[in-house]
Amino acid sequence: MALAFILSPLLVIGAGALLLMLAEAFGPKHNRAAGLALGCTIVFGAGFAFSVGAWLYGVDDVADRALVAPWLVIDHFSLFFDGLLCLGGAIAALLAGGYLREHEMERGEFYSLLLFSTVGAMMVASAGDALIVFLGLETMSLGAYALTAFRRTSPRSAEGALKYFLLGSFAAAMLLYGFALLYGATGHTDLAGIGEAVRAGGPQQTMIIIALVLVLTGLVFKVSAVPFHMWAPDAYEGAPTPATTYMAAVVKAGAFAMLLRVMLTCFTEKGLMSWSAGWPPVLAWIAVLTMTVANLVAGQQESVKRMLAYSSVAHAGYLLVGVVATVHSVPEATSSVLFYLLTYTVSTAGAFGALILCGRKGAEAVTYEDLAGIGRRHPPAALAFSLFLVSLAGIPPTAGFFGKWFVFRAAMDSGFYLLTIVAFVNSVIGAYYYLRVLVFMYMREPAAGAPVATPMKSGYVAAALILSAVLVLILGIVPSQSLDVAIKAASIFGPPGG
Amino acid sequence: MSAMGYAYFYLCATFAILGAIATVAAKNPIRGAMGLLLLILSIAGLFLALHAQFLAAIQLIVYAGAIVVLFLFVIMLLGPSASTPSDHRGRITRVAGAGLFAAAGLGAMALLVGSAPKSTIGPTGYPSPTGDFGSVDAFGRILFSQGLVPFELSSALLMVAIVGAVAVARGRHKSDPGAISGAATLEAENVPHAGQAPRTAGGITREAP
Repeated sequence: MALAFILSPLLVIGAGALLLMLAEAFGPKHNRAAGLALGCTIVFGAGFAFSVGAWLYGVDDVADRALVAPWLVIDHFSLFFDGLLCLGGAIAALLAGGYLREHEMERGEFYSLLLFSTVGAMMVASAGDALIVFLGLETMSLGAYALTAFRRTSPRSAEGALKYFLLGSFAAAMLLYGFALLYGATGHTDLAGIGEAVRAGGPQQTMIIIALVLVLTGLVFKVSAVPFHMWAPDAYEGAPTPATTYMAAVVKAGAFAMLLRVMLTCFTEKGLMSWSAGWPPVLAWIAVLTMTVANLVAGQQESVKRMLAYSSVAHAGYLLVGVVATVHSVPEATSSVLFYLLTYTVSTAGAFGALILCGRKGAEAVTYEDLAGIGRRHPPAALAFSLFLVSLAGIPPTAGFFGKWFVFRAAMDSGFYLLTIVAFVNSVIGAYYYLRVLVFMYMREPAAGAPVATPMKSGYVAAALILSAVLVLILGIVPSQSLDVAIKAASIFGPPGG
Repeated sequence: MSAMGYAYFYLCATFAILGAIATVAAKNPIRGAMGLLLLILSIAGLFLALHAQFLAAIQLIVYAGAIVVLFLFVIMLLGPSASTPSDHRGRITRVAGAGLFAAAGLGAMALLVGSAPKSTIGPTGYPSPTGDFGSVDAFGRILFSQGLVPFELSSALLMVAIVGAVAVARGRHKSDPGAISGAATLEAENVPHAGQAPRTAGGITREAP
């Protein structure tokens, strides 16, 4: 029984996905898709509730954990991600409820894919074995590929999905090759066993390092860091916007869960973590490249959706700064990454949601010009959009400020002053293109006769925006409770201060 | 390993590499598929040498039996007109890309071979396979006892693959019944949806699969 309880978030989402498919096939025809959106949101909400329940109940002294070990590791880290993934999924499902109806793409598979893909992300977050990491990654990614290709009549969607699929499969193959080499070098597939064998050293060091290169390539691809980001803008732009929200929030969180879990369990040997010969300097360079390139390119975009896609790449860079800082203080830096993921999820999901709200079929908000004067024509949408952009830019009193604050502080505490300065300069550059949207919304008027975006009306989208906005404000004004949760989740990697 | 074992290994390995080269180098897609078949058969042979009879059988059934046949179906279906468009990248870019990739791969391999004394390469530290290792019986026992968790979880992977394939392949909207071929799909993007049917439940049509 206790086993069912600690696995409940995963089981609830999986069972919910199956039920939703049955409802789609046999349910009443009248108004079916709208009901599916609601059902999907409820399933995600239940998953969130069960994660919170298991968190409060405490999983450390549940003896049944051993039954699923070493395949699945249920701890506070995985429960934190279960909750976070369900939150992101719920917002995406709500947005889909409004968007798919407006754009006449309502098909039940969308919601099943959202749920099954989340099952994969949860598997990744609680993986204790390389096999489960790979299974979860593929489950998550296959869902995301299909969601990207969901707009069947659009060549853009097909192009983005194909790029995402081909490059993603290649990266997954690299990751798998790395895991195979690790198995050859250490004789283990469970992450803890690999970590012990790596720490023990031995004659297989070279093989381990080559495996590390391959694993890191695969992982960094999944978080869409430069130079492995090429697929992200096309896939994000081509996908229907709720699917983009899902990729930017849930898939990215799952990828970071995988990155933290694999790197902090397997490659904690001193030589591999050293600043002279290990993975941290490589990751630091990738972080610098990611932030700089993504911010500079994002500033030149004319499409707001593409700008938000590049912004999502840039945020992966800030998150990588936090991952690099784990070298010196594992729990502190990890908790800052977890908190940043929380703030980033609600901000970016809200921003995409506001973009959805600003457009209607045939009059979608695509470019900056489309948004001109929307502050006067549709104040609620513009206000929501402003809040989320301000949060993404990291300006108080919003969630994004504290997210950046904790990551930068963790990097400073670990002595990465130069990296912190680069990250700070980048967040200033980032503010330029976020605030540019505000300028267009409030200070420009559309040229006479120019096509403008017509805002849509949808209870689902409104609910998603209100949920995200409340969370953005709560995290921005009273972050301490959520930070405590993140610190507790990160404490599985060692006691604080260690 | 006996001399016979080495000869078998090198035979299979040579055919595998030849098959792989044929797969990527062949201009004719049918020859490429045949190269893939050769590669798959050779790897099944390598599995046999590793006492993994079940894996070898699965390799033959799934890859040679199903996947290559599927490739051939698709190639036949598309017909000879579906040749690959000529590569518009310059010769230098292509050669440099291939060279870089080969150099990195060979460098890593050389590093690996050169770093350790010969005796530690390969799985020397692991127990030799016992009597029924790799048999269907032993495989099934492990799969349904120790490996139960990943076995159950892989059902989610298969499920998402099926639902994803259905989502991508099915579900024409009632409003554009004519759009079937690829070209029509491309055009549909620019054409406003003619004669928008009143919104049916979910806009889902039940077409024969």
